[in-house]
Amino acid sequence: MRHPGPPPTVRRMETVIETHALTKKFGDRAAVNGVDLTVPAGVAFGFLGPNGAGKTTMIRTLLGLTQPTSGDVALLGLPQPAKRAEALARVGAIVEEPRFHPHLTGRENLKIVAAARDRAAEGRIAQSLERVGLEHRADDRVKTYSLGMRQRLGIARCLLADPALLILDEPMNGLDPAGILDMRRLIRSFVDEGRTVFLSSHLLDEVEKTCDQVAIVDHGTVVVQGAVGEIAAQGDPTVLIEIDDPAAARTVLSSEPRITNVEEEGASILRLTLGDGLVPSEINRALVNAGVSVSRLEPARATLEETFLSITSRLGEGE
Amino acid sequence: MRLIGAEVLKLVRRRGLMAWTFILTVGSVLVTEIILVVLHAVNPDHHGPAGGGNNLENTMFLVSGLGTVAAILIGATAGTQDVSNGVFRDLVVTGRKRSTLFNVRVPGALAVFMPILALGLGLSIACSFLLAGNLPGPSGSAVAKYIEYSFAITAVNVIIAVGLAAFASSRVVVGVLIAWNAIVSHLLLQISSLGSARKFIDVAAAEHFLPPGNGDTRIAMSSLAAALILVGWAIVFSRAGNWWTSRQDA
Repeated sequence: MRHPGPPPTVRRMETVIETHALTKKFGDRAAVNGVDLTVPAGVAFGFLGPNGAGKTTMIRTLLGLTQPTSGDVALLGLPQPAKRAEALARVGAIVEEPRFHPHLTGRENLKIVAAARDRAAEGRIAQSLERVGLEHRADDRVKTYSLGMRQRLGIARCLLADPALLILDEPMNGLDPAGILDMRRLIRSFVDEGRTVFLSSHLLDEVEKTCDQVAIVDHGTVVVQGAVGEIAAQGDPTVLIEIDDPAAARTVLSSEPRITNVEEEGASILRLTLGDGLVPSEINRALVNAGVSVSRLEPARATLEETFLSITSRLGEGE
Repeated sequence: MRLIGAEVLKLVRRRGLMAWTFILTVGSVLVTEIILVVLHAVNPDHHGPAGGGNNLENTMFLVSGLGTVAAILIGATAGTQDVSNGVFRDLVVTGRKRSTLFNVRVPGALAVFMPILALGLGLSIACSFLLAGNLPGPSGSAVAKYIEYSFAITAVNVIIAVGLAAFASSRVVVGVLIAWNAIVSHLLLQISSLGSARKFIDVAAAEHFLPPGNGDTRIAMSSLAAALILVGWAIVFSRAGNWWTSRQDA
């Protein structure tokens, strides 16, 4: 995928999405429940949650595709829906899977949307197609496109707005590994240009690799929000130990109630999750005293996945 | 204008829809004229020339009737294609008002349909003069009346179909509107006890524009009343489509 032309000028602002107590109910069920969300400008922001957590409803509410039950939304610093047209003129979005008129070509589909945008949008069609690597298939009917090509055409459609903010709903869905890599690079290139990418996903690994900041959502509520590294570090500490006798080590470790989890990482490696102030040196001492040789003991980097699972499982316990 | 152009593009690229529209509005006239010419050539004693006033009346009713079907097909497609293809939300997130996105469908559909109808009408009129032989050709006023009637009945059906299809979010309205135009409205017009209330039926209002002598069952009304009734039908259904398009989640 090529990146032609100079980076566009993007108006400087501190936050691109701001919600206060945003709620969307369907009957008695709250799909979005009092969400306070702040998305800073110029980052890739992951909106992470399991299927059915309310991610798509949140996006639809942000974009005015469905009316919120209560709460406030501001896009690009502009209150919604009062300044809807002004804000959406600089927002590109893919909601759920990208859909097109299948009987039209890729280029014609972009013409349709460009006609609804400002006059400059039509002039961006060729550049947008080239940016996503679809210039050679632009005159084929969309019904002949693969899902990956449709995702890229969806991105091209977003670029018609010269967007300060891109809102992408599960953009990695259905992509093969090469397509995921391309999409990740494309998203990062947008951020490098000063654009903000708000991306919803249930793929923890992808959010961790692509995004700078993340909000974890579950049951319609934002559970935690911040930099990816900081949130990943919020989970219980874990250590990896390599020992000569895993069975004996397990027996020793089972007598320590502050070890909350023990997993095998290999034939002689265990991953331990530590709780209640337990420190690695105490484990080392206990194992050596029991005659188990420890050849390696190192803190394991907490992943977003572990934090995510930890948070969502805690929520589940609370129900 | 750019949005109307986009509506035209969406419709004209539908090969099947365009093919059926041509078949119904131009092809039907062409086939009829060919048959009339052949019959006249084979047996001129029993079959007169293919042109003339009477044949114009027949082909005008043909092109108006089948043109109405084509008008409904185009209108219903224009009214539903954004939603059925899942593209409507992508148009909404451009910041355009939903009502604007609906309102451009009507001129878009008319811009596609009317030139094709004009071609069918033109063919019918041309044949009535060129193939008249020894028959008297149609009068200018009769031709004008037939054109008024054809444009009135088909244009109002394009608009009704756009509005009703958007309101119902379904192309089932194609069947409903064909049934209304072909059967139900004519049954209602036959119920004399309905009296002058029958003038409010769109088909009755459109028939007002037919030349005298060709609409013996026509309901009496002024040209202004007929025009207002047709405009009223168009407004009611387009408002309904606009209202539903504006209030539904995209």
